[in-house]
Amino acid sequence: MSSTASPGSVTAGSITALRGDPHHLGHSRDGHGESRATGRGIGGPAPKRIVVAYGFWIFILSDIVMFASFFAAYAVLQGGIADGPTGPEIFDLTNTALETGLLLLSSFACGMASLALGARRMLYFQVAMAVTFLLGAGFVALEVMEFADLVGRGLIPSRSAFLSSFFTLVGCHGLHVTIGLLWLLTMMAQVLTKGFRADIVRRTLCFALFWHALDIVWVGVFSIVYLMGSIT
Amino acid sequence: MLGKLTLEAIPLHQPIPLIAGAVVAAVVLGVVAWIVLAGHLPYLWREWITSVDHKRVGVMYCLLALVMLIRGFSDAILMRSQHVFAYKAAGYLPPEHYDQIFSAHGVIMIFFGAMPFMIGLMNFAVPLQLGVRDVAFPTLNSVSFWLTASGALLVNASLIVGEFARTGWWPAPPLSEITYSPGVGVDYYLWAIQISGVGTLMTGINFVTTILKMRAPGMSYLRMPMFCWTALAASLLIVAAFPILTATLAMLSLDRYLGFHFFTDSHGGNSMMFMNLFWAWGHPEVYILALPAYGVFSEVISTFSGKPLFAYRSMVLATMSICLLSFTVWLHHFFTMGPGGDVNGVFAITSMIIAVPTGVKIFDWLFTMYGGRVRLTSAMLWSLGFMVTFVIGGATGVLLAIPPADFVLHNSMFLVAHFHNVMVSAVLFAAFAGYTYWFPKAFGFRLDEGWGKAAFWFGITGFVIVFGAFYWLGLLGMTRRMQHYDVADWRPWILVSAFGVVVMVAGVACTLIQLVVSIRRREELRDVTGDPWDGRSLEWATASPPPVFNFAALPEVHGEEAYWAIKSRAREQLRLREEPDYAPIEMPLNSATGFICAFFATLIGFAMIWYIWWLAAAGLVGAFLTFVVFAWRDKVEYEIPASEVARINRANRATRLEALQGVGQRRAA
Amino acid sequence: MSHADHAGPDALDRHQTDLAPGEEYGEEDIGKGVRGYLIGLALAVLLTLCSFAIVHTKVVWAPAVPVAILVFAVAQMGVHLVFFLHITTGPDNTNNVMALAFGVLFVVLVVGGSVWIMANMNANMMPGMPHSAMPNSATPHQPMTQPMHH
Repeated sequence: MSSTASPGSVTAGSITALRGDPHHLGHSRDGHGESRATGRGIGGPAPKRIVVAYGFWIFILSDIVMFASFFAAYAVLQGGIADGPTGPEIFDLTNTALETGLLLLSSFACGMASLALGARRMLYFQVAMAVTFLLGAGFVALEVMEFADLVGRGLIPSRSAFLSSFFTLVGCHGLHVTIGLLWLLTMMAQVLTKGFRADIVRRTLCFALFWHALDIVWVGVFSIVYLMGSIT
Repeated sequence: MLGKLTLEAIPLHQPIPLIAGAVVAAVVLGVVAWIVLAGHLPYLWREWITSVDHKRVGVMYCLLALVMLIRGFSDAILMRSQHVFAYKAAGYLPPEHYDQIFSAHGVIMIFFGAMPFMIGLMNFAVPLQLGVRDVAFPTLNSVSFWLTASGALLVNASLIVGEFARTGWWPAPPLSEITYSPGVGVDYYLWAIQISGVGTLMTGINFVTTILKMRAPGMSYLRMPMFCWTALAASLLIVAAFPILTATLAMLSLDRYLGFHFFTDSHGGNSMMFMNLFWAWGHPEVYILALPAYGVFSEVISTFSGKPLFAYRSMVLATMSICLLSFTVWLHHFFTMGPGGDVNGVFAITSMIIAVPTGVKIFDWLFTMYGGRVRLTSAMLWSLGFMVTFVIGGATGVLLAIPPADFVLHNSMFLVAHFHNVMVSAVLFAAFAGYTYWFPKAFGFRLDEGWGKAAFWFGITGFVIVFGAFYWLGLLGMTRRMQHYDVADWRPWILVSAFGVVVMVAGVACTLIQLVVSIRRREELRDVTGDPWDGRSLEWATASPPPVFNFAALPEVHGEEAYWAIKSRAREQLRLREEPDYAPIEMPLNSATGFICAFFATLIGFAMIWYIWWLAAAGLVGAFLTFVVFAWRDKVEYEIPASEVARINRANRATRLEALQGVGQRRAA
Repeated sequence: MSHADHAGPDALDRHQTDLAPGEEYGEEDIGKGVRGYLIGLALAVLLTLCSFAIVHTKVVWAPAVPVAILVFAVAQMGVHLVFFLHITTGPDNTNNVMALAFGVLFVVLVVGGSVWIMANMNANMMPGMPHSAMPNSATPHQPMTQPMHH
């Protein structure tokens, strides 16, 4: 289908659930795949899966900039220890290593889930997503326990600028992971009840982008906060 | 139960805020009552409030902006009149009130006046210019608008319930920390900006995706109209800069609410870090405002000179350079806060470099006019006024970029004059130019030219008087944000600037009268064909107002200035393009998601400001549920049958054919 | 079961169409897909172990350790981008790479700029903080207490 295709097939709004087909994957009037536009915009508007995923990619970019601001604040304020503890006094690298392992494996499991999604295998998909969830939840649990332990010892954010910026940066990441877990469950439920519908597949791909991006941010967190902060 | 909220929050004992608040409340309630009683609510709900159509969202943004510009301007009137009365006297506005006024003035003008206006123009014009049906994420677009409106509502609510920040429009710690600002003012600021900031970020994402991934067939990057390029650059800046503001204000909120120590003056905090991060957002922000303004001028100047834009590629290069360079200059906002000479020197140089691409643009606009058939419509007058006054503002900016000079002039009225000079010249003049230029496209009739020109002349005259006086006052040593003064040398210039404000009021009045008169005379001013200005880009290929689907068939683009090519061919051959193969068109369904999200956002914001924790939690649950309901939708689009598309398109073709035959007859005669 | 949603990148020449971020060319081959993720996992684990190890070992010259950690971190981020997010340098990924580059640039400017600026200001302005070792940082002058002689 060339770029001078009949007008109806190159509309910006995609063609979805209106026709009532529970597993349909997006089709134009003549039943072929979605717009064959190149996706760079020159052949007409890009297919919806590219538009949605690219938009989400830009959102992730903005989220990375937000994390960068928290990183910058941490970098500047990590020396502000006041009467509180220093990094080496509160960082438990074994715990950090465990958290890293859990999040990395859950990223891998998410990759498996993406492959299952591409192959439209419901059981493999749900199992892989469940494993992703459990590993991610393990990460969150360890982090909550770490924070609870610090708070229990009186090492609260309001003690010093260092603690404030530490709790905020790591906590912000943990909050993102928690929201990601809620989103994960939502996608599992939606795929289960509505099948591999085009818009649900698109959203699940966006979730996968989000999940991998969180692991990338975590690499920054454990390197800059925990590891660099543990060098005496 | 109600946190910090008590009846004391209503300013019953302060006459000025009481009267102002009462007037605002009366106007709002009056308008709402009229809407409901006259039976307009179903129409409004169906056609505007739940609309996800970029044209409707754009109009609502511009309407919000106009209303808030007037609110911000009234703050300005209060400040000028206070200065008239406050020479060796206390004036009529006590300091704690005056401080709120100059803070609200800045916040409203930037966040709820200028931003929504530029975003509104982008919303309206960009999809039409790209030749597509809507933005990438229409429902998200509606959410963005309503979140912005929510922020505006919170700022105005502070007039009636509680108080606003007294810190200026950038809430510098330690003044903005809980110790020195224990009231709710700074919290109103934080929540209003955070909520509307989320909306703006969503807009940035929406437009980057739309411009990069959704254009008419054949429209490569270098065939896009200039306004779309500037919209792209501004949207990229929004995506890159607004998260910094979100993070920074979140850190200040954590300091205030939970006793963290990011910016406190004890426990290791560093107040200077706030200003550093704030301006890392703040400088890109002014380019977010200025770039779409430059885009509007590119469109207006080329249309009313009857010539394509001069050196299009250099304009594109200049635009993208400004986009990148805007992230390298932010320290010039705090040269005097203590950096050493080396840091100051580097940022001084980058601040001077960034003037170059703008200079390129000015020359390109001048050369666009040169050799063209210039029509001095009011939109063109605004553009010419911009070019003359903006150059002065830019020059004073380059002057301020020299740190030794800045040490003398920082936070003086000279600085105030500089940033008003550039902001008003670029953003406000572009707002009026764009408003005049695209009004017929949005509503089907032009604005009255006579009143428009009067608005321009009063506006620019008043503007030059006010801010010319401010430049001089700055050189005489007057600082900004003064509640009273006792220097005799300043007095005459303060009176001059007060007179200038009166002239500006006349300009604003002309604009309002223009709207009323134009609505009354709309049949005479009707835009019949959809192309009232002999335009050059694709939005003029549609009817005025365009149908909901914009184009019956997405146009094929073969070069720059797509519509000019189509029109030239039509005029040559004296016939229209072939009728397209009409097909049913699917458009996104309206959605109340935006409005309801904003409702809960306002609730959460208000609850957090007044420490009503249970209400904030309820709001969060409500917002989450709204999101879940939205995510579970099955029916997202509706179909417009081909016959309907054909009917609408044929009506416009008929009027265009008539106009074309008129051209043919004139040529034959 | 048709894969119409993924007909785009596979059916057309990869020089003509774009990939969505996170999409992989040739996604039908599950074996190849799993292999890609496994290699990525292995590399990521290796780099993580290196990072943790280097903190504890005395093998590396001490001032170089933070640099090494940073290098390993950037490398691991690269591994994630290539193997998990399928970002390549092909023409079908240009938009995605451009967006990423744009983001990286601004992160570097904001974080790097902030660290440089704040270190400079702390040296000049914060009471009690050690002066920076940079030769041109300001040391406070003695205030002029004597009137100038003409």
